[in-house]
Amino acid sequence: MRNSQFAIPFLHSAIEIMTPFLLAAIGGLFTELSGMLNIALEGLMLAGAFFCVTFAATTGNLFLGILLGILCTMLLSLLFGMTTIYLKANVFITGLATNLFASGFTVMLAFQLFGTKGVIQFPNIPRLPVLMVPDSLQRIPFVGDILFGHNVIVYLSWLIVAIATVVIYRTPFGMRLRGTGMNRQTIVSLGLSPGRYQLVGMLISGFTCALAGSMLTIQLAAFVPEISAGRGWIALVAIYLGNRTPAGILVASFIFGLSESFSNYAQGTIRIPSDFILAFPYLITIVAMILYSVWRQSRRGT
Amino acid sequence: MKGKKKPGDFLASLTGLAITLLIAFGLVVALILILSKTPGKMIYYFFLGPFTNTYYLGNMLNAAVPLVFSGLGMAVAFKSSVFNLGGEGQVYAGGLAVTLVCLGLPSANGFLGGLLAVMAALLLGGGIAGLSGFFKVKWNVDEMISSFLISSIVLLVVNYFITGPLDDPGNNMLASLPLAHQYNLMKLFSPSKLNLSALFAIAASALTFLFMSRSHIGYEMRMCGLNREFSRYGGIKVSRYLVLPMIIGGALHGLGGGLMVLGTYQVLYKGFSFGMGWNGIAVALIARNNPLGVVPAALLFAYLDAGAKAAMLNGDITFEIASIAQSIIFFFITAQILSDLARKTRRVK
Repeated sequence: MRNSQFAIPFLHSAIEIMTPFLLAAIGGLFTELSGMLNIALEGLMLAGAFFCVTFAATTGNLFLGILLGILCTMLLSLLFGMTTIYLKANVFITGLATNLFASGFTVMLAFQLFGTKGVIQFPNIPRLPVLMVPDSLQRIPFVGDILFGHNVIVYLSWLIVAIATVVIYRTPFGMRLRGTGMNRQTIVSLGLSPGRYQLVGMLISGFTCALAGSMLTIQLAAFVPEISAGRGWIALVAIYLGNRTPAGILVASFIFGLSESFSNYAQGTIRIPSDFILAFPYLITIVAMILYSVWRQSRRGT
Repeated sequence: MKGKKKPGDFLASLTGLAITLLIAFGLVVALILILSKTPGKMIYYFFLGPFTNTYYLGNMLNAAVPLVFSGLGMAVAFKSSVFNLGGEGQVYAGGLAVTLVCLGLPSANGFLGGLLAVMAALLLGGGIAGLSGFFKVKWNVDEMISSFLISSIVLLVVNYFITGPLDDPGNNMLASLPLAHQYNLMKLFSPSKLNLSALFAIAASALTFLFMSRSHIGYEMRMCGLNREFSRYGGIKVSRYLVLPMIIGGALHGLGGGLMVLGTYQVLYKGFSFGMGWNGIAVALIARNNPLGVVPAALLFAYLDAGAKAAMLNGDITFEIASIAQSIIFFFITAQILSDLARKTRRVK
């Protein structure tokens, strides 16, 4: 029994922590499959975090705030996509530009609007509603305690993963998107424009990253500069670790959720310097990537 | 950029750069006009502030020094088609290496101890980056992702050293104990922070240029960068040139970080080098990966920072306007359309 007392809050928080990774990675999957390296997930998430909480605080309406925040973030991803696709700029550099722009612009706007470059608190912001489930579901031992009692964005992220899976593998749009990444010429010969699919991929990543960011700030009821704190980069890694499939990304995000949840737990109890514990998720990722490619190589060998 | 270079290409890329700068500076002016209560004064300080006195000017030149090193490191990697996203950690680690050696030898000869410290920075930076190259060769792990991950770990480990074993209890800032006086690099432009490392930066740029364009190894590296399969058929040991550019790039980053500690700070501050790795990528690309172009590109970056700083100190503009201007440059600098446009218009004439 003592085990589950530790395991339940541990896994429960892992599911909560994995959500921003999962959302950003699923959006990033669309750009990745269309043949674009999207390193701007980090900046898009940061922009989403700022705009969503600011609009939610000014409108007093959570839904409207997040919606407006998402729109602003999608504008930024549009700038990213347009310069990359139509001006034929290097996607890597425009991605860096998006990150740099987001971190400079959010701080500058925060300074103009709230007069500080530090933490901005929004004490009156409405809280993210927790999804209500029937009592019988909640009472399933172990599973019920872990899977339920999260805020709506957590469940929305699962829904988005399901929708993404269908869209990517079962719709003409998804096929053409993947076709763009595999061989642009095929798409051109069909009389379609590959750039359009890539741009839509960028916009989707802007949408999900904004949602991921909104969860960070609205739960905290505050905006902290650089609040995305490398999560967008981890999401990018999750795409590769998940072998560029939605299901794989789900698993990879859960691993990151687990390792960060473990870091939080260990910081309070184990006497290891906190910097080392914070490094733990990155270490796990490297080890996982190496193991994965060793496994793939050995499978190819036989 | 494939095939033979035409002389017109250079001019076209310069025109592209000019258009990019016009867009970026236009946006800066627009932002100042919107945000500032004294726009005229702010525009003056942003554009001319760095040249108003020797202190600003020297500091601007000094700020370009680490960017030269990280820009060179990135240029070497890019020329070899190897991607190093771990610059942040490599620069920071270089700072740590110098600090550890200098604090470990408090009464050594300044020149010899300093030389040893710089060697340590080279080794540590190169080693960290080389690890990613090794992973790539050994297990085919993407060096771009692994270098970023390793760098993230390195940042945290260096933070641990600064706030843990090396912490200076007498200093309120998060910083290590100060280095002994004999390690301070000679100042060039007192009272500014400009020091001897600026000359090293120029030398490094020239040496990297010679190495890449005139040496046998440099030639093979560039060949692998152009077409790895072709080079393999040509008898070049391709796997070696996945690791070597990472090591050289990492060593240059480490050197930049180490010289920042020796020349500018004489102490290891937490986060002293943040941004150097990312900006190094931009500097390398503005310079089109040409080691000689890295120096002016780094100066351009430092100029934007210095201008924003001068404006901030003299008015109501936040420093972040620099990163917005830099990001606009990033957005457009590699846009081929701009340089293509320039090429086409000339052909019409």
